[in-house]
Amino acid sequence: MIVAEQKPLPEIRRMISPYERVLILGCGTCMTVCDAGGEREVSFLHNALRVAQSKGGNEAHHFLESTLKRQCEPEFLEMLVDKVGEVDVILSLGCGIGVQAIAERFPDTPVLPGVNTSFMGISSEQGVWDERCAACGDCRLEDTAGICPVTRCTKGILNGPCAGTKNGKCEANKDMDCAWVLIYKRLERLGQLEKMRRYYPMRNFRAIPRPKRLVRTPVALGEDDG
Amino acid sequence: MYPSVSGNIQKYVVHRIGMPSRDRSFVPPCQATCPLHMDIREYVDLVAQGRIMEALQVIRGGNPFPSICAYICTHPCEESCRRSQVDKPIAIRALKRFALEFGGDRMIQVEARTAHSEKVAIVGSGPAGMACAYYLRNFGYPVTIFEAHSELGGMLRVGIPRYRLPRDVLDVEIQRLTRMGVEIRTNTRVVSLDLLFDMGYKAVFVTIGAHQSLRMGIEGEDSPGVIDGATFLREVNLGLKPSLGDNVAVVGGGNVALDAARTVLRLGARKVTILYRRSQAEMPADPAEVEQALEEGVHIQFLVMPTRIKRQDGKLNMTCIRMELGEPDASGRRRPVPVEGSEFNEEFDTLISAIGQAPQTPGDFRVRIGRGSTIQVDPATLSTNRRGVFAGGDAVTGPATVVEALAAGRLAASRIDDYLQHRYPSLDKGGRETLVGDLLPETVEMIRKIGRIEAPLLPAEARIKEFEPIELVYDWEAAVNEARRCLRCGMGAEILFQDKCATCLTCLRVCPYHVPYLDTMGTIQIPADQCQACGVCIAECPAKAIVLRKPYDRRHVTEELDHVLKSASESKVSPLIIGFCCQYGLFGTGTLANLWRVAKAGIWIVPVLCIAKVEADHLLRAFEIGAEGVFVAGCGEQCARENTVAWVHNRVQKARKVLSEIGLEPNRLQTYVPSATNAYPAEWLDGFVEQIGGLYLASVIMKEVKVDSR
Ligand SMILES: Cc1cc2nc3c(=O)[nH]c(=O)nc-3n(C[C@H](O)[C@H](O)[C@H](O)COP(=O)(O)OP(=O)(O)OC[C@H]3O[C@@H](n4cnc5c(N)ncnc54)[C@H](O)[C@@H]3O)c2cc1C
Ligand code: SF4
Ligand code: SF4
Repeated sequence: MIVAEQKPLPEIRRMISPYERVLILGCGTCMTVCDAGGEREVSFLHNALRVAQSKGGNEAHHFLESTLKRQCEPEFLEMLVDKVGEVDVILSLGCGIGVQAIAERFPDTPVLPGVNTSFMGISSEQGVWDERCAACGDCRLEDTAGICPVTRCTKGILNGPCAGTKNGKCEANKDMDCAWVLIYKRLERLGQLEKMRRYYPMRNFRAIPRPKRLVRTPVALGEDDG
Repeated sequence: MYPSVSGNIQKYVVHRIGMPSRDRSFVPPCQATCPLHMDIREYVDLVAQGRIMEALQVIRGGNPFPSICAYICTHPCEESCRRSQVDKPIAIRALKRFALEFGGDRMIQVEARTAHSEKVAIVGSGPAGMACAYYLRNFGYPVTIFEAHSELGGMLRVGIPRYRLPRDVLDVEIQRLTRMGVEIRTNTRVVSLDLLFDMGYKAVFVTIGAHQSLRMGIEGEDSPGVIDGATFLREVNLGLKPSLGDNVAVVGGGNVALDAARTVLRLGARKVTILYRRSQAEMPADPAEVEQALEEGVHIQFLVMPTRIKRQDGKLNMTCIRMELGEPDASGRRRPVPVEGSEFNEEFDTLISAIGQAPQTPGDFRVRIGRGSTIQVDPATLSTNRRGVFAGGDAVTGPATVVEALAAGRLAASRIDDYLQHRYPSLDKGGRETLVGDLLPETVEMIRKIGRIEAPLLPAEARIKEFEPIELVYDWEAAVNEARRCLRCGMGAEILFQDKCATCLTCLRVCPYHVPYLDTMGTIQIPADQCQACGVCIAECPAKAIVLRKPYDRRHVTEELDHVLKSASESKVSPLIIGFCCQYGLFGTGTLANLWRVAKAGIWIVPVLCIAKVEADHLLRAFEIGAEGVFVAGCGEQCARENTVAWVHNRVQKARKVLSEIGLEPNRLQTYVPSATNAYPAEWLDGFVEQIGGLYLASVIMKEVKVDSR
């Protein structure tokens, strides 16, 4: 899941200051799950902005609230057509993908990011999220016992651990597990320690072309029914 | 490129804006079991909030003579109360009594006006007849009650002793009936229904009760000194003082036997012994009453049956035989079997036989009689084999209970109305579903155990001196605390908008009772039979997909806030302070009520049904509508849950962050929970008001300085 954090209120207030009518737009999928931009947060932000306005701010905004199931699908955005006509700006609480989808669909309306999209990760306990995947496009989890060194090793090295590992923790942050120790332990548990002995050639991430695009090759009907 | 889905917009948008106003709660087991289907959960909850007048209204709405039930109802509701799966059932009857007495039931007037010309005759003035008269008058029919005795009330008057049902209580209810315009003919035994039709009555309701005592069928039963229970109680209740002697035996194990024995004690007999042929476990009498009788000094001999009575020298010489329990009989109780050769003799002055009663219907009524001499009716319409003749109460069921008789009376009134208006009987289909399913052991484990608070009784020695009512009424605090024990079954949370649910699992993780679960399809389920309606998941759900099942609960906080906004803007007192205060318990019992009383002008209280239901949004909204300071006050240790305050703290923290981000002092928002170490609420509030006053003054000065320097 994509994890994000709502931007600080002062930053949001600064961003919307030129606009009068603001649509606060939530997203019902990842942003809801990570507490950054679901319907509850939309409503909370709305209230916070109104309090700010009523307590001495000079702004005079008019707010509208809405939450789509997903901002990153054109069909869902279609539902906004009428509302967008009524506002000067869209403050999206969707991830960066949502913000761009809106920008594409509504070329004449400015869109502002209400959250900082942070990473792809899991929720390790109620209210805590940890990064797990960097979407590198070349997954090696088979060799690393299902633990990603690219995201979980501070240095992202493919042939770890480095010399900085100490008592299973990383030299960069003593509270953080060394990803390579985790990998080692799990390989040992799975009886696959030989994978540690292999050498993985370096990858040049810069050479991976961006933006990526994925096109599923259409299968002709009936072809794979045997 | 993409097909248009604009057609779906409407539905999606409507979902978001509109909350259904329908009550989606389940009928709790207490209500389902009550023959009158009283809204027990509702009035118990109102008592818990200290809203006694409203509780009284709910009670009156569901019961024509609640003050009678408040004293002597057999309370089947308590038998089915789910709280007994945690510890003990809610003391529903005692709470009803409390609401009636503290809510001022005696002052309530009932009125009716005539809207129809068809007259209805009611034969018998027991609870069934009275209830039928009450509702028929409400529908606007002219009604006459015919009663054989000199006074109204049936068994309430001539059966149940005064120490359990004070007669002034009955009299008040009867006065209401008269004031509604019910015509009353006492000392009038009806012998023929034809006569009633000849007199112009268009329908007749027969509720003649079950007053004929069953005979023991033993030798010597008709000797002087032997009397049947119903007759004995009738004589005492109508003011006679039968001479009993010093040593009295009562045969039987039901309520009549018990009432007779306890009445004998109050008439001054030295010793009274109940002889019952089975054991205590099989006694049909209410166990609490058996307990009370034992306390008062009634002796009970179990597994004993009289077989012969002989009158000798002014005394009754009685032969009894001991019994043992054999196989269960049709009633499910174990059948008593005589133990051979175990006969023994005992001497008594008087013997009261109370082994049951049956109806005795005058032959000229020409209604079909069935098993146990009861009148046969169609259970759905209460109609007999004769056109226009309906029957109900003990006469139909055999000896039963007051609340069943009341329910029969109410049903009869509707069916008679249908009959007279030539309508097809409008049988109710029962709108809402009944809650089924027991609490899971895991849920029970997480529910705080709080013992049942019994209504106080007079001490046994004082009780037997006279016929004073023996049960006292709760005081305010006891009632509120007892009412708070209710689990509010069936009105919990539900995922109303499945399409909004992101399956984030928040509810599953935050529920203090571990109620929500993931089904095999990966969908979150909140089982209604486990949910405790605490509201934690509702405030925490990031998709706002969960709501409480009752519409009032859903709107409550927002509506109260709007209300404050209106009143506060009219009063224009500054600085405005808004407090979200738990409305349960303390609110009614005093501590928080003090907040109200000492509340200085400018403080507005938003009553909430547990502070767990206060969302971070609500806190901000209070500031937005102009509050300079906001506080949340919970009831503390009395809360049904231990971690309520932790949740509230989180939300307060979240709102405080916003305050500081916009340049307001975060301590304008505070939580107060009474505890041994905390300041007394009034004191605390004084401190808070002072603080806010200071901040307010400072901000006003700042503003002026700003204006000046421009
Ligand atoms: C001692 C005792 C204690 C009880 N305790 C409880 C208790 O604690 N809780 C509880 O719920 N229930 C109790 N009951 C049961 C309860 O009283 C009855 O179930 C209830 O009163 C039945 O109501 P009813 O209207 O059907 O008949 P009744 O109350 O019996 O009334 C019938 C009326 O019809 C009159 N009548 C009969 N024939 C005629 C006629 N031909 N013409 C005119 N009038 C006639 C009678 O005089 C009587 O007044 C008790 C019963 C007894 C006897
Ligand atoms: S706990 Fe309350 S709602 Fe549930 S059965 Fe008992 S009285 Fe009724
Ligand atoms: S309302 Fe309370 S008890 Fe019910 S599911 Fe939600 S958190 Fe659990």
